[in-house]
Amino acid sequence: MASQTPAVVMDNGTGFSKLGFAGNDSPSFVFPTAIATKGPGGGGGTGSGRPAVAQKPSYLTGGAGPAGHLSAKRGTEDLDYFIGDEAIAQASGPGYGIDYPIRHGQVENWDHMERFWQSSIFKYLRVEPEDHYFLLTEPPLNPPESRENTAEIMFESFNCAGLYIAVQAVLALAASWTSSKVTDRSLTGTVIDSGDGVTHVIPVAEGYVIGSSIKSIPIAGRDITYFVQSLLRDRGEPDSSLKTAEQIKEQFCYVCPDVVKEFTRFDREPERFQKYVVEKLGGKQATVDVGYEQFLAPEIFFNPEIYSSDFLTPLPTVVDQVIQSSPIDVRRGLYKNIVLSGGSTLYKDFGRRLQRDIRHLVENRIHASEVRSGGVKSGGLEVQVITHKRQRHGPWYGGSLLGQTPEFRSYCHTKAEYDEIGPSIVRRFALLGGPGT
Amino acid sequence: MPAYHSAFLRESDVRVIGNFSLPNLRTRTRGPAYTLPQLPPNVSELDVDPDSEYYDILDETLVLFRANTLFRNFEIKGPADRVLIYGILWISECLGKVKPTMSRRDAEKALNSAALDHFALPGDPGFPLNALYQAPRDRTEADLLRQYISQMRQELALRLTNRLYADESGKPSKWWLSFQKRRFMGKSL
Ligand SMILES: Nc1ncnc2c1ncn2[C@@H]1O[C@H](COP(=O)(O)OP(=O)(O)OP(=O)(O)O)[C@@H](O)[C@H]1O
Ligand SMILES: [Mg+2]
Repeated sequence: MASQTPAVVMDNGTGFSKLGFAGNDSPSFVFPTAIATKGPGGGGGTGSGRPAVAQKPSYLTGGAGPAGHLSAKRGTEDLDYFIGDEAIAQASGPGYGIDYPIRHGQVENWDHMERFWQSSIFKYLRVEPEDHYFLLTEPPLNPPESRENTAEIMFESFNCAGLYIAVQAVLALAASWTSSKVTDRSLTGTVIDSGDGVTHVIPVAEGYVIGSSIKSIPIAGRDITYFVQSLLRDRGEPDSSLKTAEQIKEQFCYVCPDVVKEFTRFDREPERFQKYVVEKLGGKQATVDVGYEQFLAPEIFFNPEIYSSDFLTPLPTVVDQVIQSSPIDVRRGLYKNIVLSGGSTLYKDFGRRLQRDIRHLVENRIHASEVRSGGVKSGGLEVQVITHKRQRHGPWYGGSLLGQTPEFRSYCHTKAEYDEIGPSIVRRFALLGGPGT
Repeated sequence: MPAYHSAFLRESDVRVIGNFSLPNLRTRTRGPAYTLPQLPPNVSELDVDPDSEYYDILDETLVLFRANTLFRNFEIKGPADRVLIYGILWISECLGKVKPTMSRRDAEKALNSAALDHFALPGDPGFPLNALYQAPRDRTEADLLRQYISQMRQELALRLTNRLYADESGKPSKWWLSFQKRRFMGKSL
């Protein structure tokens, strides 16, 4: 039975979950990684007072033993919850509280995460897990206990047929193979994954993350939304809700080459000012003027100082530092293949500006070393930032590509293997999409 | 790309008092500045070519104002940067005096009288940037600096009004007024 079914691909992010089937071009569902449960919301436990699974690592409960069988402990009251957009809608009324079980890319509330997956699988994707192999994603440097918790839920609660857990950055590299600029299907490159909560810069050499060189930046989509909101408020616009700020951000913002010149362009071409109409309750409308935030908001990646007082390093500098701290023999490959991933890399000309600024840094360094060595010319270094069509859901799409290959299943751990060895089996997976596959 | 510096840093032969330079100004207000020719009728004051003979540091200050007020850090590279800083802080002060409903005439009056109010010089206890600006050496220098800065303040106030009321609506630009609360380098005059 399982031999004909497509693999299920689930990329659960801090802000949004992308769910669908391997082989498809885009996820079947994209909705907030949010759950609404009875009672007041909040990060901690649940309405029923059970401890979150995260507080008992699976090796303490005996892994495959009955205590780990979460669904067996569950009463009917547990079905009274909503996920995704429905969760947001329910939580705006009385009776339900909202929780975002993933924080900074990592699962924090395992009980809520399990229920989120349960609803994802049975209510949205509508599949029988025992008939499907699953490809799940994880952030870089995910602790092994976290993988084991995931396996425990997938195999014991849902009986899924097989499981592969891939690092989001590696999948994002695979997703860029659709770009015409990418000629060799290499799993070497630097991934800039910017979602809602954090921006990671992750060097990957032949499919393996260079963990010691990863850097993360506390500026991502949510911050850009806040910055838009603060500019709307400074002008006293008739609506400056977060929702309006987010819409304006997604519809109007772009990256400019030079802020001063951009201000001057707005002076010369007043048609650059735009309007955004907000539909309010009761059929009323509010018209919000949209001005300099169009280019100032994403500028906080390049000049964090204009938004934050404690984080000041521009993104291009961080990328350069990450590559410079990686082993010398892979640096050339890391500069040549800088791949964008995630919703907050979608701004027009984001890649172009990033490439220009990183090139400047690299050229200045090369020039300085040529001067030091008395004018000996060095060979130069190619810096290329890859912008591509599947960037928005990069990790999901990479999972879809790799999950549809004939050899995918041989890289998974199966339910039978899990039952024999226990959760520790998921500490290692062979590299999918690497050389020789 | 941090905050922008003055291109007038490159000019030599400019008189300096303390560590504040006195670049040429295009102005009709009276004072010690060497004056540049007035703009020909076909050149808009809002868009003066930086390479032309008319362009002065006040044009530059108005061009850099919106970008630079977003920054808290600025490394001074020379005397012209101090003129730029003073100009930016003066524009902020002016914006704070303009109400969204003010007519052009009322704004002109308010800003002109503010420009002529008593103001502190480098070295005076009320000057906000004494760590970065040197005091004039004597009375003569102090008088000259006061007259030059007074000329700057009046001319900038005038040009700012032209920008605020550029669109003929009769109301000051909400885009410029939205910078009222920003403080370049965290300072105000
Ligand atoms: N067209 C767009 N332009 C700019 N930002 C966008 C656009 N579309 C979505 N976003 C932003 O992208 C963010 C969501 O991105 P993504 O789905 O990659 O994050 P995530 O995977 O949930 O989070 P993380 O990777 O931090 O765990 C949101 O902040 C959203 O507003
Ligand atoms: Mg993500």
